[in-house]
Amino acid sequence: MDAKTQKYDRQLRLWGGNGQEALESAHILLVNASPVGCEVLKNLILPGIGQFTIVDAGTVALHDVGSNFFFDLESVGKSRAEKACEFLSELNEDAKGHWIKNDISTLLKEKPDFLDQFTIVMVSEVTQELATKIAKICWDHGKTTQAKKQISFVWVRTVGLIGAARIVTPEHTIVETHPDSVADLRIDSPFPELDAYWRTFDFDTQDNLEFGHIPYVAILLKFMDQWKKEHNGQTPSTYAEKNQLKALIRSGMRSADDENFEEALSSVLRSCQATVVPSSIKDLFSDPEVENLTAESIDFWVLVKALKEFVADTSKSAGLLPLSGTIPDMKAQTDSYVKLQSIYKAKAKQDAQVVAEITGRVLEKIGRPKNSIAFVDIEAFCKFSAFLKVVRHRSLESEYVEPKTEQIALHLADPDSVFVQYVLLRASDAFYGDHGRYPGENESWEEDVEHLQGNVATLLESWGVDKEAVSPERVHEICRYGMGAIHNIASLMGGVVSQEIIKVITRQYVPMNNTVLFDGAASVTGVFEL
Amino acid sequence: MLTEENIDAKRWDGIYKLLDRSSLIHPDFQPIEEIKDFVKEAKILVIGAGGLGCEILKNLALSGFRDIHVIDMDTIDISNLNRQFLFRRADVGKSKAETAATFVNRRVQGVNVTPHFCKIQDKDEDFYSEFALIICGLDSIEARRWINATLVGMADPESPDTMKPLIDGGTEGFKGQARVILPRMTSCYECSMDMLSKPTGFPLCTIANTPRLPEHCIEWASVLEWPKVHGDRKADTDDPKDIQWLYETALARAKEFNIQGVTYSLTQGVVKNIIPAIASTNAIIAASCCNEALKIATTSAKYLDNYMMYTGNDSVYTYTFQHQRKDDCPVCGQSALKLEFRGDKTLEDFIEYLKEKPDAQLKKPSVAIGGKPLYMPAPKQLEEALRPNLEKTLKELLSSGDEITITDTTLPFSLQIVLTLV
Repeated sequence: MDAKTQKYDRQLRLWGGNGQEALESAHILLVNASPVGCEVLKNLILPGIGQFTIVDAGTVALHDVGSNFFFDLESVGKSRAEKACEFLSELNEDAKGHWIKNDISTLLKEKPDFLDQFTIVMVSEVTQELATKIAKICWDHGKTTQAKKQISFVWVRTVGLIGAARIVTPEHTIVETHPDSVADLRIDSPFPELDAYWRTFDFDTQDNLEFGHIPYVAILLKFMDQWKKEHNGQTPSTYAEKNQLKALIRSGMRSADDENFEEALSSVLRSCQATVVPSSIKDLFSDPEVENLTAESIDFWVLVKALKEFVADTSKSAGLLPLSGTIPDMKAQTDSYVKLQSIYKAKAKQDAQVVAEITGRVLEKIGRPKNSIAFVDIEAFCKFSAFLKVVRHRSLESEYVEPKTEQIALHLADPDSVFVQYVLLRASDAFYGDHGRYPGENESWEEDVEHLQGNVATLLESWGVDKEAVSPERVHEICRYGMGAIHNIASLMGGVVSQEIIKVITRQYVPMNNTVLFDGAASVTGVFEL
Repeated sequence: MLTEENIDAKRWDGIYKLLDRSSLIHPDFQPIEEIKDFVKEAKILVIGAGGLGCEILKNLALSGFRDIHVIDMDTIDISNLNRQFLFRRADVGKSKAETAATFVNRRVQGVNVTPHFCKIQDKDEDFYSEFALIICGLDSIEARRWINATLVGMADPESPDTMKPLIDGGTEGFKGQARVILPRMTSCYECSMDMLSKPTGFPLCTIANTPRLPEHCIEWASVLEWPKVHGDRKADTDDPKDIQWLYETALARAKEFNIQGVTYSLTQGVVKNIIPAIASTNAIIAASCCNEALKIATTSAKYLDNYMMYTGNDSVYTYTFQHQRKDDCPVCGQSALKLEFRGDKTLEDFIEYLKEKPDAQLKKPSVAIGGKPLYMPAPKQLEEALRPNLEKTLKELLSSGDEITITDTTLPFSLQIVLTLV
């Protein structure tokens, strides 16, 4: 094992070599070396992000030293971008750090396409106005270029004990969602090879050792077959019928200790569920991206189109998704288990080959070479086809221009919801618009409460929500925080946001949609689609 | 010229706003100067200087705590570097506690981290009683049980100073949890043992006779073949040569049985029982622990009562709840544990049952009744003398309602069970 594999061993077990490769080719921009921004970078540099750039015009102040681990007392007065880059770069020689001592607005004026080089653009310690402006550049970039070249936008901030992060990825498609299990056993509708398999076990003549090792899949298939024969080819559907199937299986046991029969019995309920195409996947079939496939479409949508045609060709697919080819462990002799495994694998391969043929035709139709998607990728796509996922984030602009008022009213109706913190942050932004500073920053902090209360009321009114939905105590509390940075909260949000960024970059696991809030006083989080 | 106080006020601006200002949400909080002094002077103990420990040390130092101790018996391995950010490649082989302490002391001026390069069991109650608060970032159930039992044992409800808040964090992949334990007041670590999943183990007969998974072949190589070939010498799972041997042996067996999937990485994962670990999850859990520590030490906001679970596989999900104390908790409970078992089963069956019971997590339990041993796995002579008892039924050995005592090397206390035979 090489040194790099050794170093990254504990994470490779989560996202594998392909996830690692994606991280290594990513470039992250951090606008402003805030405590939370540097914590996010730390958690991305350690697992081996390719490059990062810090843009910050400021110099290190004492309060930075008290809240950010990547400054020390000697850093005071030096460039925040340079110093943070220096200390962060020490974390991993594989990650290349850059810094620019400049203001992002000035930089964008000088180089309007500055953001194009980044995978992720993350801002913190910015005004709502600036955040919206940068978010729009990223959003428009994604619209005008191929979806492969999207720039994801992240806005993260902490205020006292509160943390908040917003992610904007116009379209995020995931094949490797990492469900708990991809097993797809087809007990209700066995394919011919599977049907032939269980018939190789003679339940009457086997000796006790062999009998105790008949794989539970074969047991289920046998008794399901018997049940179907007695019920016009139907599988059990009601609770009573499922219990009858259980009783039938139980009647076939030789002793009460037959573990394989126990395994079969505990799988009856799941196995009686009809194998179907999940509604979430049917939704993908009718996605506009599938309807309007072009040569510029990403592979994901080409494959969804092929998948749709596969399912439609019932002579080949029986109207089902391609088989995953994975089976769980079960009590069995080695030979019969390996045989069963190879039957599922062979069928999965066969399905994938059909999907590959269809993919070739689809590719040709849109003017791409028919072999331009590798078979291994088609195989993986088929394996996880029941768990494909598309996450589409709303733009930051639409969050402000077209607020989801109905959902907002619902969130605010729950007195325990952390959503109230969102209202307070938005009101603080409005306060900044009025005063050019944030509430509670000065010694006379309690004087800001009343004005902020007004900002809260205006905001609630604009949503058509009860003006009293946010209590005065809570408004007082955020003034108490006074925009102060507390390292624990920065570190926690740094963990949460880096985790989401890793999911976005690796295209594995499922990122949140689209705002996460943390209230460090109540120790709770919430995710809201805004 | 800035005075030291001025510097402090500016440096800790975020935290001092919290400590200087009253709250309507937390009306009991009194913003008095003594709280800041307490943060500076309080002795805090961090157990573990690994993935969570590095984060915890950083967070405590940047919370304004100055007198921090850290205890860890481990040395730095290359596979730590993807998350244990206080260590560099050149530090491989050095003490984690010492390296981490040196780093934090250099970076955060004014803080004094004292390292203890030893096992937690090497320290006595006098040592633990010096601390105001203890934070654990461990990956071992055994060590957690030990410190939990020790702190609960030290707690005397009559004298508040003896009650040491224990904040415990744990992670696995994208999942983790943070909890606050107030000995004898809230549920303790032992109260929640039943939340642990069953220890993964494969039946010996499967490994020996009917392997199906690559893991079965690896277990065969390490449990059955290794001792046959190497005798008394145990496999060193940190030695690539030994792992290579196990891998090749497992691979040969897999070929023989047509089993696919034995790799070097899987071999290492199985024999070392590797748990995936990443920087981001550790950051979340450690920060949550330290946020609670700061709230407890300053009373500036209410603290976690008492458990927060985190999952990041699918979106961001946390669940904050109050875990209940158990009346029959063997560490902090008031009543003995009651258990029913079939009297016609053998003592061996009962011992097997104990080993599989997730809330017991026993490896080689000894069973005694009224001070008289029924079975002991060691020493050898005693084991041989008591071995015939294993075949006997429980009915023959004891009567229903007897109180039996279970001890185990993994258990820092003895387990009293009132056994009803059915």
